Amino acid sequence: MTAVADIAEPIGHHVDRNGDPLIRVAGVWKIFGRHGNRVVGTPDADLPRAELRAKHGCVAAVRDVSFEVWPREVFVVMGLSGSGKSTLVRTLIRLIEPTAGEIEIDGKDVTALSGADLLQLRRHTSSMVFQHFGLLAHRRVIDNVAFGLEVQGVPKTQRLARAADVLKLVGLEDCADYFPDQLSGGMQQRVGLARAFAVDPKVMLYDEPFSALDPLIRRDMQDEVIRLQYETGKTMVFITHDLPEALRLGDRIAIMRDGKIVQLGTPEELVGSPADEYVENFVRDIPRSHVLTLRWIMRDPRPGEEDGPRLDVRSTVRRAVALIASGERPVCAVEDGQVVGVVDREAILTAIAGESD
Amino acid sequence: MAVAQAAGRLAAPAPRGWWRGRAGVVAAVVLAMLVAYVVWKNSLTWPASLVWNSLAGYLDRFQAWLSNNRNVAHPNFAFSVFNGFANFLDHLVSWLLSFFNRLTWAGTTALGTLIVLRFGGVRAAFVVLAAFASFAAMGLWTESVQTFALMFSAVGLSLFVGIPLGVWAGRSQRFSRVITPILDAAQIVPAFAYLMPVVILFSVGPGAAVVTTMIYAVPPAIRITALGIRGVPPNTVEAATALGSTRWQVLSKVQLPLARRMVLLSVNQTILFALSMVVIAGLIGGQGLGDSVTNGLYTNPALAVLAGAAIVIMAIALDRATEAMAEHSDPARRHLTEGKKLRLRLFTAACAAAVGLAVGLGHAFHAGTDWTARTAQDWLLQHVQRALDYIQNPSTFLFRNITNPIGNFVVQHGIQPLRTFFIETPWPATMFGLVLIAFLLSGRRPAIVTFVMLAVVGLIGEWTNAMDTLSQVLVATALTVIIGFVLGVWAAESSTVARILRPINDILQTLPQLVYIIPVVYLMPVSGVPGVIASVLYAAPVVIRLVQRGIENVSHDAIEAAESFGATRLQVLAKVKIPMARDAIMLGVNQGLIMVLAVVVIAGLVGSGALGYEVATGLQRNAFGVGVIASVAILALGIALDRTTQGRGRVRRELAE
Repeated sequence: MTAVADIAEPIGHHVDRNGDPLIRVAGVWKIFGRHGNRVVGTPDADLPRAELRAKHGCVAAVRDVSFEVWPREVFVVMGLSGSGKSTLVRTLIRLIEPTAGEIEIDGKDVTALSGADLLQLRRHTSSMVFQHFGLLAHRRVIDNVAFGLEVQGVPKTQRLARAADVLKLVGLEDCADYFPDQLSGGMQQRVGLARAFAVDPKVMLYDEPFSALDPLIRRDMQDEVIRLQYETGKTMVFITHDLPEALRLGDRIAIMRDGKIVQLGTPEELVGSPADEYVENFVRDIPRSHVLTLRWIMRDPRPGEEDGPRLDVRSTVRRAVALIASGERPVCAVEDGQVVGVVDREAILTAIAGESD
Repeated sequence: MAVAQAAGRLAAPAPRGWWRGRAGVVAAVVLAMLVAYVVWKNSLTWPASLVWNSLAGYLDRFQAWLSNNRNVAHPNFAFSVFNGFANFLDHLVSWLLSFFNRLTWAGTTALGTLIVLRFGGVRAAFVVLAAFASFAAMGLWTESVQTFALMFSAVGLSLFVGIPLGVWAGRSQRFSRVITPILDAAQIVPAFAYLMPVVILFSVGPGAAVVTTMIYAVPPAIRITALGIRGVPPNTVEAATALGSTRWQVLSKVQLPLARRMVLLSVNQTILFALSMVVIAGLIGGQGLGDSVTNGLYTNPALAVLAGAAIVIMAIALDRATEAMAEHSDPARRHLTEGKKLRLRLFTAACAAAVGLAVGLGHAFHAGTDWTARTAQDWLLQHVQRALDYIQNPSTFLFRNITNPIGNFVVQHGIQPLRTFFIETPWPATMFGLVLIAFLLSGRRPAIVTFVMLAVVGLIGEWTNAMDTLSQVLVATALTVIIGFVLGVWAAESSTVARILRPINDILQTLPQLVYIIPVVYLMPVSGVPGVIASVLYAAPVVIRLVQRGIENVSHDAIEAAESFGATRLQVLAKVKIPMARDAIMLGVNQGLIMVLAVVVIAGLVGSGALGYEVATGLQRNAFGVGVIASVAILALGIALDRTTQGRGRVRRELAE
């Protein structure tokens, strides 16, 4: 079990839930096979995979998935291989055509877009980072980064200038003239990140971008994503099979199994109250004190308790341990200068003790 | 002890003898055919009532009708279009030839060498320069340039057709499914069988030569291009799509650049296939080296050998040059930066200037179209003739103790008895025996195809000739498979042997089919033997490679497991490697048969008789009907042999992927 440090520390971005969601996915299905569309809407659609395959010869990769992603949010889809998560993210921009359902990105009905409009969506609204990088081996790093702009028809000097800026953002300004195979895996994926950022998209889609990397480099890259997110405020849909990664990055996490979302919630909700045994098995080894925040364990303050040591309500339980240990009084959870609750020794011990169940 | 007792108590299955397996049943079928041969020898030949005798006449009349309608003063629309195409082909060749002539020999040499220098590097350029020099030295400059003109016309058109189709096949599953069986079928047809039908349509001339060459050279262009496009990493294509590339942008910016090396390798293969055919096309009006060989075989053996050597040099030079160009062009490995690009551009300009200079100098000094100054031709011809005289002299050691005994042995103990067996066995026994073997080895559908093909051979009246050809093919294939198996296994086991065999195989695989026949014809001039030996030389490298690769590809885990149980090297080979490489070996047999057939029929030109001889006489005496019928019989025999040995489908699919 890798240590999960301060997963839910505030990372300095504010999800905007006041307006409309940027991405709206409703009832999306993807069934591979010749007559997949006939299955949707019949009771057979709920059959287990093997039975569906035996009966209709088709494979249900995504089943009736719905979610919304708000501007500036990092939305993580987590699941084991074969859970349909990579298919799901591809249906968002119709790299794989969904069999049924509605997808809306930035107010546009993606499923109804014509070919030309779909190209515009892919060129300007979204961009994607891939597990195996998908870099163009025959082009220099800077030409790779400029590729999205080239496809849009941006003039050469302009797109190279923009690409140089973005390379600086990911710390690869010295590698502009290199070729992808001269870089390490981590650096190659930085190029992939830069390529996605270069077109200044509203939505960034990440398909297991770091699973091909070594654990240490993976951490660096996660930091990089957090930093870029902080600096640019992009909306992100992030696919991963790695729970610590999901908890570390996600504002909200959807856990997928056999094509369905089994639970959708904040990291705290997943760790604090797993929806079923499947999710519970997943989160069992996660140190709860690193994920749960004071908001999750606090109770209403009793009179006289409001002058205890103060801590932001979004801090993790772990941060409160030191304060509790050094004094007698319960810690006050503060939001916008107001005390909204207190956390006492017993609550903290319970939260930590929950780990070893 | 306990284990042994327990095992003893179980009813152990009786050991199954080899004769109970498929090999045993095939052996039984062969035995039955032998019995039929012994008992009903010569009593049942293919009945004359089952032969469509008037077919040749119809074909001759069709050809006459075609040529009459084409050559009238005002041909109708269809024939005008057809004539236009034929004229275009003729003109293309002569235009290219006059282009080379206008460059003068100096300019042509400079152009060829510098293009290869610019795109393929110094070593390949040296090979090309040396090739040009040797053409001049052999006094075969004009013939070489004619061959070039013919070949590049055919290659240009083949690529013009093949690369777009290959790209299409690489991008569309559906089109790929349509075209793959056609490409597979084209691969079984012996090149020699294309000649007659094309001559009927286009009549003898450069145009016909270009068309035959294209038929032969387009399939590899399509196949390898498609392979290259499909080999582009799918995640790269997906990434480009996700960024909003149109289909055209994906093709032009991602797929084609990344497939560039493979596309150029398809050019390499197309050139080698085209060269192979251009030489045979000497028979149907293709001028150049092929013409020198095919004519020289009868009238001037030394010149034929010399022209054959020129073809070998040309094949090696073209192979090296285009392969070097393909490797140098790999955009993923070249790492072209702006500085490098600039330098390359300057280099290109310098090369162009040098070619211009060479052309200018050529004209200034009246170099002329041909290298006429001094050639070593006479000297070479003299020595070649002396060598030919030596090997053909019955009193020499070589003849008495080596070539003649080998030739006689192959005839007496191989071709002759087998030929008698196939021809004299009652035809129903032969036919059903072969169909049964096809059924046992490959299954029901291949057996039906084999039956139909053999029936066609009989109906068009070529049963006896086909059985004659078949006996030569089987002898040659048996030799090929034995040699290929032994050397293939040896090469897989010993890296030294592999290192020695590799360059030899490389060269043998680049040579045109006709070239193999030239030396053997003089070395062992006994009826079918040249064809047999030449086809063994032609087919063995491929069988060696397939066997070697099959054995090398056997999973390392399985070998390690066997070794961990204490298996000796020989046991590992016999019990693990060879059984697990069975599919590859079976494919070797299949490929060997097809390749052997292709050369055995060409050897009809030099006295191997049978089907190849019919085609050759058809070509030389304008007996169109007979030639076409023999071509059809060759094709039918090829398909039957392929289906019989294709195995149960598994092999082909696995190796095709």
